[in-house]
Amino acid sequence: MRYSAGPVETARLLSALVDTLLPGDESWPSGATVGVQALVAARLVQERGDDAIDNLVDTLGDDAKALLAGDEAARVAAVTAWEAREKDLFGFVCDAAYIAYYENPAVVLAINAHGHPYKLIPHIAGYELPRFDLARDMPKHGRGHFIPTDAVTRVPVETLNLADERTQNWGRKQ
Amino acid sequence: MTTQAADVLIIGAGATGSLAAMVLAQAGLDVVCLEQGGWVDAGDHPHYSTDWSWQRKTRWNADVNKRHHPDDFPVRTDSSNVLMWNGVGGSTNVYGGIWPRYRPSDFRKGDEHGLQPNWPITYEDLAPFYDRSDRLIGTSGVAGDPAMPPRPPSPTGPLPFTEAARTLADAFDKLGWHWWPPEAAVISEDYDGRPGCNGCGVCSGCARGSMSKYSLSIWPKALAAGARLRIQARVLRIEKGKDGRATGALYLDRTSGRTEFQPARVVLVAGNGVGTPRLLLASDNLANSSDQVGRNLLHHTLTACEFWVDRKIDAHMGYSASMISREFSETDISRGFVNGFQFNCLTSTSSAPEVAAGWLGDAKAPWGRGHHAWFEKHFGHGTGLFAIGDDLPNPNNRVSLDPEARDAEGVPLAKLHYRPGENDRRMMAFQLDRLVEVAKAAGAYEYRLQDYLDTDGVYRTPAWHMIGTCRMGADPETSVVNKWHQTWDVPNLFLMDGSVLATGGVVNPTSTISALALRAAEHIRDNFRELSGLTRPMAA
Repeated sequence: MRYSAGPVETARLLSALVDTLLPGDESWPSGATVGVQALVAARLVQERGDDAIDNLVDTLGDDAKALLAGDEAARVAAVTAWEAREKDLFGFVCDAAYIAYYENPAVVLAINAHGHPYKLIPHIAGYELPRFDLARDMPKHGRGHFIPTDAVTRVPVETLNLADERTQNWGRKQ
Repeated sequence: MTTQAADVLIIGAGATGSLAAMVLAQAGLDVVCLEQGGWVDAGDHPHYSTDWSWQRKTRWNADVNKRHHPDDFPVRTDSSNVLMWNGVGGSTNVYGGIWPRYRPSDFRKGDEHGLQPNWPITYEDLAPFYDRSDRLIGTSGVAGDPAMPPRPPSPTGPLPFTEAARTLADAFDKLGWHWWPPEAAVISEDYDGRPGCNGCGVCSGCARGSMSKYSLSIWPKALAAGARLRIQARVLRIEKGKDGRATGALYLDRTSGRTEFQPARVVLVAGNGVGTPRLLLASDNLANSSDQVGRNLLHHTLTACEFWVDRKIDAHMGYSASMISREFSETDISRGFVNGFQFNCLTSTSSAPEVAAGWLGDAKAPWGRGHHAWFEKHFGHGTGLFAIGDDLPNPNNRVSLDPEARDAEGVPLAKLHYRPGENDRRMMAFQLDRLVEVAKAAGAYEYRLQDYLDTDGVYRTPAWHMIGTCRMGADPETSVVNKWHQTWDVPNLFLMDGSVLATGGVVNPTSTISALALRAAEHIRDNFRELSGLTRPMAA
């Protein structure tokens, strides 16, 4: 069922949505606290057109009410239902939310607080890394071979039955 | 007004176009290069923005169909992600700069099994040009790999050996497999006026030029020698005279909106494995008496694995390639297929957003209360690797012209079709099993494989490598160019880019494409007088 939201309610909905995706705790700010909803909204419009926000609200349907007024369990249930219904749109919003979140300076501080030397714009100054040490870092295994040009010889390719057989189940499904 | 004929017209200002422009202009020839895009300045890169991760998915996406840049030309594909960049420096604006060479056996697959052709040249023919292009381009690495022919030292020493490299090297040692520090078109120290790599890890091109971006490493030399580069100049077709020679190219000046004709004595096409066959086909099927233009598109077989270890390795730091393994690079038919593959071992994504939203595999942080715990467990603990192999040519895997759709200038769109064959599928199945062994040997607490199969079973490779579509050969019936990149049909028309590769090898191809371009350009330089009047191809 179509849910109609005005501008204030739309903004609250987006905040509730990103806070459900990225709730805060004692060491991580929540998504809405660092403004993830603004970037998600902007990127939705940029990539999916002017009516992308209206479409998002539309697809939430009655779950929008739970997002706005419900407790955490109700909000999680609402997003779970929306994810099941709108896989593609949910995937876009979730990725956009994650990316916007970790692009935030406050979140980078949280990463640093966990002991990682992570930079928001690493290209400017780079990371300090020890130079390659020939004594320490060179391979010592002595393994490896190649076939020189004049040593390439015929292999019995006909034994492979490449023309007759067809591998159907390959990849992760093999 | 009549435009004066250039000695040499080069179509495309990417890696091979820039090398050819440099060599020929330094010889005193009048060189004009037409490039449909523009210069890509440091500020155009996403590297100096906080949202560089988002930009890598959108405006800086290497896939021409995802970034929607006005300099690009549209490509329709039923499977491939079409990774290229149209602008000065070409795809070196956005590539990763992994720089291994082909192996001697890569040139002799006709002898080895006959399912691919022999090249009309050998590794030994190309080796000196590898060495010289490395010095021009600026590379790093360490000589002495027993899995490759001897070679001189790289211009700069190897890049830092990261914790990811150590983790992977230990795993390969445990398996008893070969590994070696990677060769890269990345300078480990200041070189040729460019700064050494600072280990930022944002290796989607390099705004500072530590990773060789040919607009910074080669074009300044070409321009200093007098080459004339016209940007925003989109070539519409190559014209041919009654004597069978190419006369020049008709192009749209995208700035003025005017259509111009640039005459030339010799024409070089350097438009990449998609752009070059598209242009030939759109130029009244030029140089295609063999019906080979556009056919035998190669992408490599590609699979990947991402895994996580308990130990903190912070692999977001450092150049994106950590090491390589040539353990399986030669044919061993006891594996059930011909040809081999290489492991390109990585560090990790340099981007915390990509750790959460998904990098190599399908691993992604959950949303909700479990999100932060997942991130804490995975960030700084992950690394990964690709297996990249030599796929067999199939004439039906091809670049062709869309029979109906045209671009804004009226040129038919390029259409790509690619399906891996039986040998390729067997190789990828084998690769995936080996990738699992690496992850387990590394002590991974979790690993995810990537087979690039979509939910419908279509193989959608992130095909950086679009090669083989105008291949080199000794027989005009089965190839498009001879060993000097000269088209069999049009004696003053040369193809300089990855389309000429007769086989794909087991490696990223730009080092080989660059060495070939240097070799061909020097041949044209040394034989220009003869070539500029020739009406029949020179010897094969």
